Amino acid sequence: MNMMTHPTLHFLLLLVIGLVSPSAWGANNVSPPEKNPPVDITVSNPAREVGYHVGEILSRTITLKVADQYRILPTSLPIPGNQKRYRNKEQGIELYASKISESHENGQNIYTLDLSYQVFTSSIVAKPAALPPEFIKFSGNGKLFQVRVPSWNFRISPLAVYGSVNISKDMSPLRGPLLISDQRPRIIMNTALAILGLSLLGLLYILGTHAWLPRMGGPFARNYRAIRKLTRDDTGLKTAISNLHEAFKKSCGRSVFSADEIMQVKPAFTPLADELSRFFLLSRCVFFDSSAQNIPADPHAWLKQFSRRCRDIERGMK
Amino acid sequence: MSDRLLEDWRTHALQLENEVNQVVVGQDNAVRLITTAIFARGHVLLEGDVGVGKTTLLRAVTRGIGGGYQRIEGTIDLMPNDLVYHTYLGDDGRPHVSPGPLLSHGTDLAVFFFNEINRARPQVHSLLLRVMAERTLSAFNREHTFPHMLVFADRNQVEKEETFEIPSAARDRFMMEIPIVVPSSADIMESLIFDTRYHDVDSLVDQVSPGILQFDELNQIAALIQNSVQATPALRKYALDLWLATRDPAQFGIQIEGVDIRRLVIAGASPRGIAMMMRAARVNAWLNGREAVLPEDIHAVFQETIAHRLVFNPIYEMRRTALARELLDQIVHVVSVA
Repeated sequence: MNMMTHPTLHFLLLLVIGLVSPSAWGANNVSPPEKNPPVDITVSNPAREVGYHVGEILSRTITLKVADQYRILPTSLPIPGNQKRYRNKEQGIELYASKISESHENGQNIYTLDLSYQVFTSSIVAKPAALPPEFIKFSGNGKLFQVRVPSWNFRISPLAVYGSVNISKDMSPLRGPLLISDQRPRIIMNTALAILGLSLLGLLYILGTHAWLPRMGGPFARNYRAIRKLTRDDTGLKTAISNLHEAFKKSCGRSVFSADEIMQVKPAFTPLADELSRFFLLSRCVFFDSSAQNIPADPHAWLKQFSRRCRDIERGMK
Repeated sequence: MSDRLLEDWRTHALQLENEVNQVVVGQDNAVRLITTAIFARGHVLLEGDVGVGKTTLLRAVTRGIGGGYQRIEGTIDLMPNDLVYHTYLGDDGRPHVSPGPLLSHGTDLAVFFFNEINRARPQVHSLLLRVMAERTLSAFNREHTFPHMLVFADRNQVEKEETFEIPSAARDRFMMEIPIVVPSSADIMESLIFDTRYHDVDSLVDQVSPGILQFDELNQIAALIQNSVQATPALRKYALDLWLATRDPAQFGIQIEGVDIRRLVIAGASPRGIAMMMRAARVNAWLNGREAVLPEDIHAVFQETIAHRLVFNPIYEMRRTALARELLDQIVHVVSVA
């Protein structure tokens, strides 16, 4: 019985000592670590995580809010031109500019730190990189403490792709969708639109009876242009009167045989009542009854003037 | 000389018009057209409703022309020989034959008035064809001529019972078909109701001076008018275009709503029809004191000389009057004048 009890007791004793001793040491010899005052850190990083090339500048804005007993230590701010090292190797990300602004609100000191980093490295393949973490110190109320601003990861792209690239083996979600260039279709579309526009203009010109200006292609406008070119002989006179009859027919939508008929269909011609009557007298004299009276002395000139008056009325003039 | 003669005759013509217009009120245009037909030596068919004054008008004109006058009523049992002779038993108890309406005045027959012509049988129309076209008739083994005769006929389109459609060949013999409508003026309508002067037709017709025109000189003066009044090449072309348009209106771009214009006309105006139109247009120019025909002269007689000659597709025949008017209106509006 004694043989069995002795070793067991030893073992139990050693176990109790082993379990109890650390906490007992801690409670007696080490005071608990003093808690740092809270610092609210807000970081605004670049929107894009990929596609940076050598020489590009990345900006991040860090906002630090701390109780107003504590102030930032200016000597702890990152120094422009400095380049963080990792395992004693430069990473190629250099602080380009640093600017701090300070404000006070609701019993807090608010520090806004604008940091710009420039990329000074490149690679023939996409390369991971990071804006380095920064350590900012605060002092006050008899305390000195520091906070860590977290690093931010991004990828540096090569300036040129070397060799053939198999896209199917490089389906990185960070790359984003590959876009097909629409420049050529756009050029074709714009050219087609230009041709369509010119064609429509041409069609408009044809439908406008070859007249560039509104009402330029009206029956009397065309008639006036034609009459000016006619010869001053009997044939020219007959042609001029025929053309005018045709113009009245087109304008009134039917053959007309008297001034009253024209004024009934087209009241705009009322100011020309006398001239219209003379025109029909002249027409009667030339085509049907040479004994007709009261015809103009110089029928060619009169017809030209009459045609112009008709054209003016057609264009809305009185 | 001929100018003065024409001027004198125009005065007579206008006097006839004036007197007839006082008897038959509100029918100035119809009276002008009948006067035109008289001097163009063309037969006239009046068309209109019952009681609008067709018969009174023709009787008044007839009285003004003078000469022999005969009248016959169209009935369903009228036969051609009824126009030529009568048979009867005389006082002596023996059968006698006397000349019928066509023969009773011999060559002096000036007006043959056929009332209600569409009630007569086609056989009678057939006899009229020759009489109207040639002014001759064979009867009693000899040829009878009626050199001064004009046929005035009337019909109403309202009644269809016991009537016969006048064949197109017979219609073509008439120079004009003149529609007679009730005057639209309220004053005239009131007069026709309340003025007792218009209630006694016989005394009304008697107000027209008899024999204003010398019926036996009308052929001569008509020829003189046709020779005196000129038609220039431009007007001839215009008339030709009008004629062609009646034959093929689609070619002239004429359109009538609800009508297949290519199927509408089976036969347009005949050469005789267009010739009659030009005769009437010349007379119209003369009545207006002109020595040359104008397009307006053609327009004045175009509807009345052409409409009844058009032969339409049977599917449009029921709307004949309205379609003919619309078609001819469109032709006048579409065909260019010069």
